[in-house]
Amino acid sequence: MKQFLKGNYALKVVIEEPAKSEADSTDEFEKKALSRLGGSICFVSKKAFVWTGEGKDGAGKADRRPA
Amino acid sequence: MELGKRIAAQLEGATFDRVAAAGLANAQANRARIGRSILELREAVGDGDAAVVVAAGPSLHRRRSLERLLASGFDGLVVAVDGALGACLRAGVIPQIVVSVDPHPGRIVRWFGDPTMTAAPTDDYFRRQEMDPVQATDEVTANRALVALVDRHGPRLRVAAATSASPTVVERCLGAGMALFWWNPMYDDYDKPESISRRLHRMNGLPCLNGGGNVGTAAWVITHALLGRRRVALLGMDFGYAPGTPYAKTQYYPELAEMLGDRVSEAFIHLTNPAHGEMWFTDPAYYWFREVFLAMTREAACETFNCTEGGVLFGPGIRSLPLEEFVADLRGVAKLSR
Repeated sequence: MKQFLKGNYALKVVIEEPAKSEADSTDEFEKKALSRLGGSICFVSKKAFVWTGEGKDGAGKADRRPA
Repeated sequence: MELGKRIAAQLEGATFDRVAAAGLANAQANRARIGRSILELREAVGDGDAAVVVAAGPSLHRRRSLERLLASGFDGLVVAVDGALGACLRAGVIPQIVVSVDPHPGRIVRWFGDPTMTAAPTDDYFRRQEMDPVQATDEVTANRALVALVDRHGPRLRVAAATSASPTVVERCLGAGMALFWWNPMYDDYDKPESISRRLHRMNGLPCLNGGGNVGTAAWVITHALLGRRRVALLGMDFGYAPGTPYAKTQYYPELAEMLGDRVSEAFIHLTNPAHGEMWFTDPAYYWFREVFLAMTREAACETFNCTEGGVLFGPGIRSLPLEEFVADLRGVAKLSR
């Protein structure tokens, strides 16, 4: 890529990509692995079974705002 | 704590990571097809006291639950998950409602029969799954038969369709003449101003349902919380695997094996169900579904009767009994109320 991206100036500092710590990589791996074990729909703890909003948009009625 | 239970404890967040992006993309893709809200479903099916929710666990076949349901003369509401639709129709049980949730782009349409399938896919999901043994053998022939069966009964079926469902599933259901009633999965806390659930509701006006991790629990939620049924029986709601099932034949085995390597067997949790005395086993995902279901039961305004006769779902708030006894009790209640 460097052969295509050339500037007409020289930087005085060396820019380094921030290295990922081993702990970050492990966390990322675990998160990704876990996400493959989840269910097909979320569960939201301590919330109602059904939430119909504030009830001002006609949800579920014949005049419901179309999607 | 056992390894399997430790993993299970992390699955609420992991499920969000697994399904939110795909579910929201599908909600967007389905927009033009969204018509009736699930709130209109109660009027469509009428009132009543009792219902049977049919999930797709292995007990459905081991206990011949559908044949027994038919023989019992049960005349209440039957709500089936998509994975149990084929088994229901083959047994002559026509559910009034089929529930579909999973956003997976290719697999779920198979539960409705995939008219475009010409060869067995490389994905071994259906050969490995325990939910519909018919689909696990000659996939092409089984699929063809299911396409014909669903096409025949489609116009009599109502689908409680989550906006997260794959557009392929939606197209298949509409093509078979089914009536769709839509709802949003609840993704997060709707009381928070930045909530995804709130944004989704604003976009399409549909109610959000707390799904409990899986389509079976979502079907139970729809049955009592939306359709107002007060006595809800469960069939095929195992949340586990029958004794003797090889670990490699379980739903999440490839993912668990990749994650845990040699320790994969430690992820499985064994439980003896006092209702039938058998020791079944479960994996972290199904164990999480079980724990969530038990927690939700405590809040539900219905009686839940587990007529599965298998699996690992037992605990406070759930009465286990044979299906015939549930139906006989209903008749007794009906006589008394006359």
